[in-house]
Amino acid sequence: MPIKIQVLNNILEMNDSYAAENRRVFEANNSFAMNIMSSPGSGKTTLLERTLERLDPSRVAIIEGDMQTTKDAERLERFGCQIVQISTGNACHLDGKMIHDALSDLDLSDVRLLVIENVGNLVCPAEFRVGEDAKIVVLSVTEGEDKPLKYPLMFREAAVCIFNKIDLLPYLDFSLEEARENARQINPQLRFLSVSCKTGEGLDAWTDWLKSKMKG
Amino acid sequence: MHEMGLAQNILDIVVKTAEQNQVDKVVRINVRAGQLRGIVPEQLQFCFGFVARESSLVDGAELVIETLPIKGKCKSCSHEFSVEEYRFVCPECEHEDIDVLQGMELMVSNIEAV
Repeated sequence: MPIKIQVLNNILEMNDSYAAENRRVFEANNSFAMNIMSSPGSGKTTLLERTLERLDPSRVAIIEGDMQTTKDAERLERFGCQIVQISTGNACHLDGKMIHDALSDLDLSDVRLLVIENVGNLVCPAEFRVGEDAKIVVLSVTEGEDKPLKYPLMFREAAVCIFNKIDLLPYLDFSLEEARENARQINPQLRFLSVSCKTGEGLDAWTDWLKSKMKG
Repeated sequence: MHEMGLAQNILDIVVKTAEQNQVDKVVRINVRAGQLRGIVPEQLQFCFGFVARESSLVDGAELVIETLPIKGKCKSCSHEFSVEEYRFVCPECEHEDIDVLQGMELMVSNIEAV
């Protein structure tokens, strides 16, 4: 007859304790940390390029997550901000420990904005807190309005949802209104922005929001 | 595949518990996963079966995953309700600021061992 032993242990306990430690580092340095997530190809890196053009690079640091390549980090290097590449190998997300290790390669004392570009994936990155101040989810309008309902945790956890590639709207059946409604149902507090990294539309509103979060 | 990482964490917790309690063999592990976590039980079981091979104490144990439905509590009128189809709106007062009471769990609740 087997005996039952109570455990009640959080499976993500280790991750969450790294995340809490990261958070202390962000707070001590007055750095606003945003964890930016999306499916592959939604335009995260292009959005970051457009964003960095509008900010003071000495105030920004980037942690770049990529499974196999350093291509994204190479695209962002020309802006001259501090950048650390994490190659996750087969892992589909960044976790608290990876960020913790990457932080030892960064000097955050002058950094007001730490960008954490997660691996392209709408499922796994939402599970792993890294100590961020805000999760940002990017959804390109070529992906379909139903994505919030298919990936509820991602949209529940996000503070801001950015609809990207809106210059393509005239050619698509995508309804911004329906996508917004689907996401709002999961997270009524979610803030929405619509941008086109090609035409520049909406980018000022996005960087204004970011600047309002960058203290000092 | 974040199930692999979760499976490894579960194994670490189970091995530690089994050693502390000086059991001979773990036969069953009961895990509770909130619905918002989006865990696919078959995937997690598959991954766990794979990682458990590294521990003779745990290898072959059955992993049972109980999915907990989402429950919310309205921050305005305190009404508690089950959240259907991820609709986080109070059915009583239509307020949209809802605390998640249940649905974010991810824990090893107990193990059965001989």
